[in-house]
Amino acid sequence: MKNLSALVAVIAAFSFAAAPSAQAADTIKIGAAFALSGSIAVYGEGFKKCIDLAVEEINAKGGIKGKKIEIVYEDNKSNPKDCVTAVRKLITVDRVPVIFGPAGSSNFMATAPVAQENKVVLLSAQGAAVGLTRAGDYIFRVFPSDTLQGPHLARLAMSMGYKKVPVMYVNNDWGLGLKDAFVEAYKKMGGTVTDIIAYDEKKTDYRTELLRASRGNPPAIVNLTYINEGAVQFKQAFEMGIKTQWLCGSAARAPKMVELAGKAAEGVIGTYPSVPQNTKAYQAFKEAYKKKYGDDKIPIFGDYNYDMVYVTAKAIEKGGYTADGIRKALPQAAKGYKGVTGDKTFDAERSPKFAEYGIWTVKDGKIEDYRK
Amino acid sequence: MDSISYYLQTALNGILAGCIYALFAMGLTLIYGVLNFVNFAHGELIMWGAYFLFLFMGEPFGLPLYAAIPPALALTGCLGVAMDFSVFRPLRWANRLTLLIAAMGLSVFLRNAAQFFWGAEVRTYGLEVSAGTRFFGLYLTMPQMAIILVTLLCVGAVYLLFFRSRLGKSMRALSDNLDLARISGIDTKRAILAAWVISAVLAAIGGILLALDTNLSPEMGIINLIKAFAATLIGGVGNLWGALLGGLLIGLAENLGVLFISPGYKDGIAFVIMVIILLARPYVIVGERSD
Repeated sequence: MKNLSALVAVIAAFSFAAAPSAQAADTIKIGAAFALSGSIAVYGEGFKKCIDLAVEEINAKGGIKGKKIEIVYEDNKSNPKDCVTAVRKLITVDRVPVIFGPAGSSNFMATAPVAQENKVVLLSAQGAAVGLTRAGDYIFRVFPSDTLQGPHLARLAMSMGYKKVPVMYVNNDWGLGLKDAFVEAYKKMGGTVTDIIAYDEKKTDYRTELLRASRGNPPAIVNLTYINEGAVQFKQAFEMGIKTQWLCGSAARAPKMVELAGKAAEGVIGTYPSVPQNTKAYQAFKEAYKKKYGDDKIPIFGDYNYDMVYVTAKAIEKGGYTADGIRKALPQAAKGYKGVTGDKTFDAERSPKFAEYGIWTVKDGKIEDYRK
Repeated sequence: MDSISYYLQTALNGILAGCIYALFAMGLTLIYGVLNFVNFAHGELIMWGAYFLFLFMGEPFGLPLYAAIPPALALTGCLGVAMDFSVFRPLRWANRLTLLIAAMGLSVFLRNAAQFFWGAEVRTYGLEVSAGTRFFGLYLTMPQMAIILVTLLCVGAVYLLFFRSRLGKSMRALSDNLDLARISGIDTKRAILAAWVISAVLAAIGGILLALDTNLSPEMGIINLIKAFAATLIGGVGNLWGALLGGLLIGLAENLGVLFISPGYKDGIAFVIMVIILLARPYVIVGERSD
């Protein structure tokens, strides 16, 4: 019996030690469940760099009401299962009230219900899937939804004279959402979708899918693909002698894709949420990035991650360092806020209300803006 | 593209995929035959083989492709032997479940190790992309011709080794009955060693061909292992020719299947085949072999 009470005492002591009150006093902790290993670690490293840059800047200016921000990174291993584990760990062990969520819409959407249930704010800086924030009112994103991108891509196809196209898409939440948004808008504009081909991620052989898409020699094929998948597909299409105009979404727009696909990526065209780079804010960001990391190649979606830190910091300042405070303050903090990536005002779905879209293409091995 | 060449090209894609699966399956089935367990770490030999080539082609070696292949194959062979010495040999008399778990652990370890050295990102050997050559309306690239030729060569070599050499004979004896082979005075240690080397080299050849044709990634092994496993099941586990046939069959089935169903289910075809066979012959993974 004596032993039992001793055990209870020990357990009680431990649970008090785990309470956040003592450690939360001097820093403001924000969780980040990022892809630091696994298939999309390509992106994760870049996001981290931009987050660290923003945190460093805010801390240098005195932090939030004198308290320094500290990011608690947790590796999400690029798959939905470990994303959930990472977010759970941040909620239960680190007790953070706000988390920067995983990249990849499927990964993010796996964690959203967990954050919502535990009443912790979860933000995305690169999730474009249509239903990304549907899990509830604690889920936000600073990246525009594909509900806006689909019609832009459809308009691009029509303006280039492609009235009949097959559509290929990566079979996950992002691909499916953009495919639906595109097909709906394209049909409304009078276009015909000749075939719809879903394919799995991470494969090394897409020849048969490509063959089916290229049946009847379509002058253009819409392919909603990623960096690695896109690289493999363009390469294999090139080897198979498929000559067509590829039309893509935003996720394939990366120097890494061009590096992997080589000359097979030449001439690919796509839409992307464009960030006007001639603004003062963007130039300052680019300058600061160059100063810290020595090169001025801003990682894909890095600018959105940078803005996410600032918007969150503003919300913490306004609403206090509690999940509820942050959730309530976020819409006010973001309203009219002109970040590096433009106006960050939220709509009713807690997604950016405004987004500009640009058109990208690959020319001479480089990604640049498309000009007719 | 008119429709006959469309079907033929699809079939060709199936044969290409099938050749790669067959090379993986032959190695897998060889270890099964000799040691009577499924080496779930076989996929990592595939991946490491491809990465070893990447190692020798990059800095500081900078070897051209043809010169980098022999050391890459040799190193993968060594890795296969090292796997046996470090993990499977101490567990030689353990039950199948232990071996299965050990193999899975080893697989995770080797995959993470590759990620540690080369990172998670997808890489290529950096060879120029070139359009395929046209034969009778079918496109075929150099790496694809290599896939078909090398697979044929490997099959030939494996045939000669197994049915025309003493070593092959002793391996076959081992596969029939380990204890009996030992009693009959066969050098079982040497035969097991040879089985690991051959299995690893076949995996490396397949991995290199696959990477030449596509890309390198730390996950390339595990993804294809499942297909190879399905192929060995079709062919009857432990049967070399069955593995070859099974590989080709899986490759053809999943590619021709796309003509009738959505390509989104392409990977499902191999799984369906695998599940059906496992339902019919469940003893393969754990439990006793009844033949």
